[in-house]
Amino acid sequence: MKLLLVEDESALRTALRSSLRQAGYVVEEAHDFAQAQEKIMLYQYDCVLLDLTLPDGSGLDLLRALKAEGSPAGVLIVTARDALDDKITGLDLGADDYLIKPFHLSELNARLRAILRRRQFQGQQQLVFRDLLVLPDLAEVHVRGELVTLTRKEYDLLLYLLANPGRVLTKEAIAEHLCGDAVDAADSFDFIYTHLKNLRKKLQEKGADNYIRTMYGVGYKLSHE
Amino acid sequence: MKLLATTTRYYLLLATLLFILGSFGLYQGVNWALRTEMGEQLAARQRELLDKARTNQLPPVALLKTLLLVSTQPQPVGFRDTLIYDAQEHEQVPHRQLTFALPTRREGTVWVTLRKSLVETEDLLGVVLAVMLGVLALLLGGTVLLNRWLASRIWAPFQRTLAALRGYDLQQHQVLKLPTATVSEFAELNQALTTLSQRLVADYENLREFTANAAHETQTPLAIMQAQLEQLLQVPALAEDPAAAPLVADLYGATLRLSRLHQALSLLSKIENRQFAHAQPVRLDQLLAEKMAQLEPLFDARELRYGLDISHPPVVVQMHPGLADSLLQNLLQNAVKHNVRGGELAVSLSAQELAISNSGLPVEGDPARFFERFRKHNPASDSPGLGLSIVQQICGYYGWAVSYSVAEGGTRHRLRIRLKPDSAVPSKQKTASLAAPNQPRNRAAPPVAMSPE
Repeated sequence: MKLLLVEDESALRTALRSSLRQAGYVVEEAHDFAQAQEKIMLYQYDCVLLDLTLPDGSGLDLLRALKAEGSPAGVLIVTARDALDDKITGLDLGADDYLIKPFHLSELNARLRAILRRRQFQGQQQLVFRDLLVLPDLAEVHVRGELVTLTRKEYDLLLYLLANPGRVLTKEAIAEHLCGDAVDAADSFDFIYTHLKNLRKKLQEKGADNYIRTMYGVGYKLSHE
Repeated sequence: MKLLATTTRYYLLLATLLFILGSFGLYQGVNWALRTEMGEQLAARQRELLDKARTNQLPPVALLKTLLLVSTQPQPVGFRDTLIYDAQEHEQVPHRQLTFALPTRREGTVWVTLRKSLVETEDLLGVVLAVMLGVLALLLGGTVLLNRWLASRIWAPFQRTLAALRGYDLQQHQVLKLPTATVSEFAELNQALTTLSQRLVADYENLREFTANAAHETQTPLAIMQAQLEQLLQVPALAEDPAAAPLVADLYGATLRLSRLHQALSLLSKIENRQFAHAQPVRLDQLLAEKMAQLEPLFDARELRYGLDISHPPVVVQMHPGLADSLLQNLLQNAVKHNVRGGELAVSLSAQELAISNSGLPVEGDPARFFERFRKHNPASDSPGLGLSIVQQICGYYGWAVSYSVAEGGTRHRLRIRLKPDSAVPSKQKTASLAAPNQPRNRAAPPVAMSPE
């Protein structure tokens, strides 16, 4: 998977790059409008991660250029919260999704996964992790060939974990993913705990290994080991 | 007290004083003139009698006695005032009298007293006072009428200035527009006020820009901090040290809180600056159902019994979709946050009203203050206490009335929002919709775009 990361803040770019590479993507970078435009013209990407506020132009113009060219690349817009109207315009122009700064890197992974899945496999795909098989289109989860019945939120939670294998997911990121943003952290940790406990129980009942690890005081992790 | 009334009061005080003095002086003057005239008349009569005595043309004393007061005994001579009883009027009447010695040929010297009634001077005093009081009354009445006229005419520019000041709203970023006045004092006042408002607008604009820039500049480092901390949590070495990971996690949590606070504050300042001019029809019922579903795990975690009652869907309101989202999010979150474990949460929506009622602990204090910024019931809470303040700002922006009530011994809280603008507010809405053409990229979005799914 090849991504273009358009972001003018170098520190943020560094963090995003290392996170995306850990997730197994090939990452190209552009730090301003001109560079991004050049790369879009020259190369093909699976997805463009687009910051809308660039020092020498608007990300919306890049989006227009991409769509005018008929590029198959998915576009994930990253905007500042106060640019609500830009976000709406971006979605109108054909962006696949948006993220509001500041965002959780794990959330970024989940969104990217969803975009790439929708765009490239036209839905014919399955997620495999160790003894776990997920068919996203049927919303089915199988452990060692056996169907597991999950609630909607448990399923969402599992997908979120699967989008970030081997990655420490903070409680806050999980809470925001499940309940929408700006949920008060302290309120929501209880329910994450409850849902995770239920999810684990259901998976283990079917004989799954215990790969959902609790990182004490931090969050959870889907472990490869 | 009005300025005109105050000056008039002193003016009338002075006028009354002058009138009293004037009346007194006039009376004295006229009285003196009359007495002098009286004395002159008596003296003329005296001279006439003396002349007649010299030329021996006087009638006999006996005849004189029938005409004049004549005494053969010596009397004190000269002018005197005396009171004589008037049998017809039944009262003592003041008289002026002149007594002198009249030498006669036959009967030797006799003392003659000439008298004239002074009764006219009292009448005079009455006339003088009546005239003066009449003039005073005219003056009073005239002054009042003049003041009315002045108040409506000369003070009109002042009233206009005052009205303009009352209606002045700095948040509309407009310099105060005042009509030019012909009276130089008012013209100066208007000029000074215009200058002042120009300065205010400039300062306000600077402050606004500063806040906006500061907010924007804060956003980037916050995003960097959050991303880097999240990356730091992935470092394998961190997992080996059980003390280090929670430290970083706490730091991460604090960064999130900071960025949430920052978002809430910049949202508030943007609403205040009326930067959400773009309104479109929003299906409030759909959005509400969506939000409720999203927060379901949160309700479950607190074991809340909850219900959503939407009468007569669809409920469509004209508002900015982002603000609609923020409004419902904050309302619901507030109802969860202040709820008790196993409590209740009921939401009802109609075309007129959105009401959220929830169980909770009894709260103390003035309900109006719940909407204040950084107000929280539990000081140890993680939340900055901006939720209700945002709710109020959004409702204020669209002219909706928010009311809070409490029942069942303070354990049932109810927030109601009337979804129709107050009659006083359409002007604000007008400015909001007027500003829309300035924003070129405003287009309708599909409702699904608002949910971060």
